[in-house]
Amino acid sequence: MDQFWNVTSQLLEGFGENCMLFGVTILVAIPLGLIISMGSMSKFFPLKAVTRTFVWIIRGTPLMLQLFTVFYVPPLLFDISFADRMTAAIIAFVINYAAYFSEIFRGGIEGIPKGQYEAGYVLGMKKSQVFFKVVLMQVIKRILPPMSNEIITLVKDTSLARVISVIEILRVAENFSKKGIIWPLFYTGAFFLIFCGALTILFRFLEKKLDYYKV
Amino acid sequence: MAFLQVQNIKKSFDRTEVLKDISFSLEKGEVLAIIGSSGSGKTTLLRCINFLETPQAGKITVGGKVLFDSDDKSKKSDLEIRKNRLHFGMVFQSFNLFPQYTVFNNLILAPNLMAKEQIKQNGEYMGAKTYKEAQQKINEEAEALLKKVGLTEKRDEYPCNLSGGQQQRVAIARALALNPDVLCFDEPTSALDPELTGEVLNVIKGLKSSDSTMIVVTHEISFARDVADKVIFMADGVIEEEGTPQQVIENPQSPRTQSFLSRFNRFSD
Ligand SMILES: Nc1ncnc2c1ncn2[C@@H]1O[C@H](COP(=O)(O)OP(=O)(O)O)[C@@H](O)[C@H]1O
Ligand SMILES: [Mg+2]
Repeated sequence: MDQFWNVTSQLLEGFGENCMLFGVTILVAIPLGLIISMGSMSKFFPLKAVTRTFVWIIRGTPLMLQLFTVFYVPPLLFDISFADRMTAAIIAFVINYAAYFSEIFRGGIEGIPKGQYEAGYVLGMKKSQVFFKVVLMQVIKRILPPMSNEIITLVKDTSLARVISVIEILRVAENFSKKGIIWPLFYTGAFFLIFCGALTILFRFLEKKLDYYKV
Repeated sequence: MAFLQVQNIKKSFDRTEVLKDISFSLEKGEVLAIIGSSGSGKTTLLRCINFLETPQAGKITVGGKVLFDSDDKSKKSDLEIRKNRLHFGMVFQSFNLFPQYTVFNNLILAPNLMAKEQIKQNGEYMGAKTYKEAQQKINEEAEALLKKVGLTEKRDEYPCNLSGGQQQRVAIARALALNPDVLCFDEPTSALDPELTGEVLNVIKGLKSSDSTMIVVTHEISFARDVADKVIFMADGVIEEEGTPQQVIENPQSPRTQSFLSRFNRFSD
């Protein structure tokens, strides 16, 4: 029993790292994704081309490779290294998820019929009013299901940070297994299941809240 | 000078000329019906009048005020364009109601935004000095409009729970809420099931008796004959024939008008 609580508390500590990586990624990648989506919808061709190429590269390569790149390449090129491995993980995750989110936002915004904008304009609304008062709520409703998918994937992806030696939950469990204690490895699944379960309930609640209209 | 004057409008997309020198005029309280086969440029004309498209050439005047003049090269500010738009209202073929707002909120959204802005700038909106006062006026006006289109009971419904005909009647009320000088309709009944067209056409007929100036693009020839003061037949971006319903619909002179109308007469009467 003692061993169980000991393992649990160590795993919890590791899971704290996962949660931190998750939280910061969400907070930074969502606004950054919005900015990137604006770039990829821009009428200014060079900006659009650069943004879309960026998104293509990020989505077309493994997150694990991006983690290695962020962690190892700057020290090779410049005289800097990451004091904190977590910082490198956060940078890689933010870039990766911002690219994915930007595509979801772009899809959501481009999916709004032109007629919604025009109806706003002929009623004398400003562009910003049309965006915030007419389009935004419809975009949110449209992107909620793909966003919830992506966010739940992010929860599980955080365990990838162990490849650059962030001591997250799976890394902790691996350390136990090296000492011959295997079961904590499977026990980690419970942590992810509970977290993802809570998120699923939250998103279902939000979707229900927006159920009163159809877009 | 006529109340609405549209002069020499030309509009091309890339190299296709869609409107080739369109001119017409309309007196206050008159109803103009525009008929013509699909692709003849009717929608584009309405969109130019509502400044959703910018014509390459032409001039648009309402009540003596020049709203658009292609010879005037000075760049219009966003505010000016928005103000000019308010002289016109637009009812779309596909309604374009805002799905996340109730019927009533669809009506008051734009007037409230306008009132807030104008009171901030000029200290006044349609006689109201404070936003609160303006809101009250806007609410009363919206209630009256809902009654006019017969949808008082649907006040708090969302658009997705209304029939197409009801949605279009809300769209008409929404356009009227800003008191446009000229209300434009782009095939207001084309997206509706046949049994629902009547209720919408009746609302438009009702507006005629309350002296609204209207431009109605329609395929409902008998409606055009009964309600319009003036009919324009468009073909390939030009006004092929123009006159009273008696002249254009009963007695068309141009062979193109004749053949267009004969296609309809086969079905009606
Ligand atoms: N945004 C656009 N870009 C290119 N061509 C257009 C555009 N809008 C309309 N057109 C063309 O203009 C012509 C007239 O269209 P429209 O005004 O919609 O006709 P109608 O409403 O009489 O059916 C059509 O040939 C159409 O393809
Ligand atoms: Mg059309």
